[in-house]
Amino acid sequence: MAKQTTNDTYLLLIEFVHKHIDFHDAELNAIIEMNDIKVGADCQFLPIPNSAADSTRSVPQSKRPFRIISFSWDSIGSKFAVCDEEDNSNSKVINLVTSLARCTLVRSVVELWGYGPQLADCVKSVQSGQGLERHKMGKHLHSSGTASAKSFESRSWKVTIHTLGSTYNRDEQHEMRSKFAFLELPGPVQMENPDDEYLFIREVELDSAGGAVYPRHSEKKELIPENDARPPLACYFGRILGNTTLGRNWRGGNRLEQYSLKKRLYLGPTSMDSELSLIMTNLAQVKPGSIAFDPFVGTGSILLTTALRGAYTIGTDIDLRVLKGRSKDENIRSNFKQYGLPPPELVRSDNAIYHRHFRNHLPLFDAIVTDPPYGIRAGAKKSGSRRYEVRAVLDEHRHDHIAQTKPYAVSDVMADLLNVAAMTLIMGGRLTYVIPSMLDFDERVDLPRHDCLRLVSVCYQPLQTELGRRTVTMEKIKEYDESKRDEYIQQTWVNGPESAEKVANIRERLIEAAKKKPGYEEKALARKLKRKATKEAKKKAKREATASTDDANDNNN
Amino acid sequence: MRLLTHNFLKSNVKGTENGYPLNIEATTLKYEESPVNKPFILNLLPKLNYAAFYSAVQQLSPHCTEYSLPEIPSDIDTSNVDVIDEETIGKLHTWLLDVYLVEGFLVCPDTGRKFPVKDCIPNMILHEDEI
Repeated sequence: MAKQTTNDTYLLLIEFVHKHIDFHDAELNAIIEMNDIKVGADCQFLPIPNSAADSTRSVPQSKRPFRIISFSWDSIGSKFAVCDEEDNSNSKVINLVTSLARCTLVRSVVELWGYGPQLADCVKSVQSGQGLERHKMGKHLHSSGTASAKSFESRSWKVTIHTLGSTYNRDEQHEMRSKFAFLELPGPVQMENPDDEYLFIREVELDSAGGAVYPRHSEKKELIPENDARPPLACYFGRILGNTTLGRNWRGGNRLEQYSLKKRLYLGPTSMDSELSLIMTNLAQVKPGSIAFDPFVGTGSILLTTALRGAYTIGTDIDLRVLKGRSKDENIRSNFKQYGLPPPELVRSDNAIYHRHFRNHLPLFDAIVTDPPYGIRAGAKKSGSRRYEVRAVLDEHRHDHIAQTKPYAVSDVMADLLNVAAMTLIMGGRLTYVIPSMLDFDERVDLPRHDCLRLVSVCYQPLQTELGRRTVTMEKIKEYDESKRDEYIQQTWVNGPESAEKVANIRERLIEAAKKKPGYEEKALARKLKRKATKEAKKKAKREATASTDDANDNNN
Repeated sequence: MRLLTHNFLKSNVKGTENGYPLNIEATTLKYEESPVNKPFILNLLPKLNYAAFYSAVQQLSPHCTEYSLPEIPSDIDTSNVDVIDEETIGKLHTWLLDVYLVEGFLVCPDTGRKFPVKDCIPNMILHEDEI
């Protein structure tokens, strides 16, 4: 191991949910940086056991849901707090618990008392570590030296065993727990809401779906001896932070569920799922008082999430119908109202000519978070006539004239998006956007670029065998120079606008691919007949409904 | 639309030189009080074109008499926001964030082109012959 625990360090174990694995580090780093915690100066990431490339059964850290962060013990209580409750008495102290709780993918944060490749190593590490002594002192329980509400002797506790899905019976769990009996915790054991919840984790290899690669039991629940004998990847022991306010499953309970898409009154085919939106607002570091912008606002699902983070929100779209919504009670504003958020600002404008709708003297936005149109569910449009010669609109028709729009090539959508971001973001402000792609997309050369924007992170999320999407985050690092506009736009695609073709019209490409598969014709026919039947059933039901109301009206007359 | 957004919008139909600030023809207005967010207002002020904001407030005031809204100073040094007192911040907040133009028009000062505002949504889309 590169660096061992010393008496001067304070270790945190971050446990992620085994989901959106490629987003783990990007989201955590964004939140760490947003809270002004400096990796290198304030803290270091330590390698977890069996993650080094030279170890015989190494699994790289990036594929595993655990990270260890080391802080200096001196900084706990002076620069950082790890207490359950938000303490506003000292605004200079950064509360690690409430700060990290914003990460959508963090399951829990544990004050790490000891760890090692196997249970025995972990026990030894706890014995030689400072966790217990420090806990007795209680210094780290409260930020600015305020008296601990409960003394060490009276704190209730329990030890939870977490084996990542492998099943161990009560006796086996008791056996593991008993290895930590030497701690001789004086308080009462309490299963429901204890003051301290200790956690022992036995980490094993997981597949991408979060199941054990070497399951301990077969599907018939019989023990598989060779898998049972496999040593763990790592063992960790510690005390769960934020236990009394957040519990072990920080993201559990109502934290995510209350924002679920299903509960929104107004939805469209392009609404972004709430979990990914929440991650995106973290990647973009949206915070209270930020001004957040979505130039392709659609039904406002991303904008709503930025508002949940406390941002003042502005959304634009070329399509007036989505901005207005379905009715008085089903529109973007009603969704905001549902969550008690201040109404967003909505403007119908065209991002292709942003600079002609908005004055561009000053960088305005702290964050731009968006899902641009790629022609998958909604084809992109921009202002202008499809004709070669544009006909003039007569003055008497001006006020109710319906402006013409024409198709908007994905290469231009992206070039304009990056340029608008470079122009309107504050220095250090972030652009986070989603880009779908199939396997032929090479993120090293196919992603759009801008001279004023630095690439911060790219997170890949597989959707189907061939289709996936990336969430890209960029940061403004250079002042925008209007005189270089054409140059900026020309430099968007290193490999030429063909890169954009790879992300455009994926729906059509998927259909083309499906047509080549055997049995496509039969399946398509069956689907067509089914659709027809449903449609007719609906029509019939509607006819009958009108007929019965007509009857009712007749009776009234 | 709030006046904050009005401050950033301009008209740019073909042939317009400035197109800023847009004049406001108000048909319906709405006032909805919200909690004052001082850091937000301070963050915003340096980005604001104060003269345009002040003139917009003057245009809307006659339509808002029923709400008895405060008057704002005709000029503020937005480069030094730290000296602005709480009371002024509250007044600025009211006009920037709590007053909504529900129905009306935004009018280009150069060409007279009217951009309609309906259900609080300004329609800034240019017609095909204006691009």
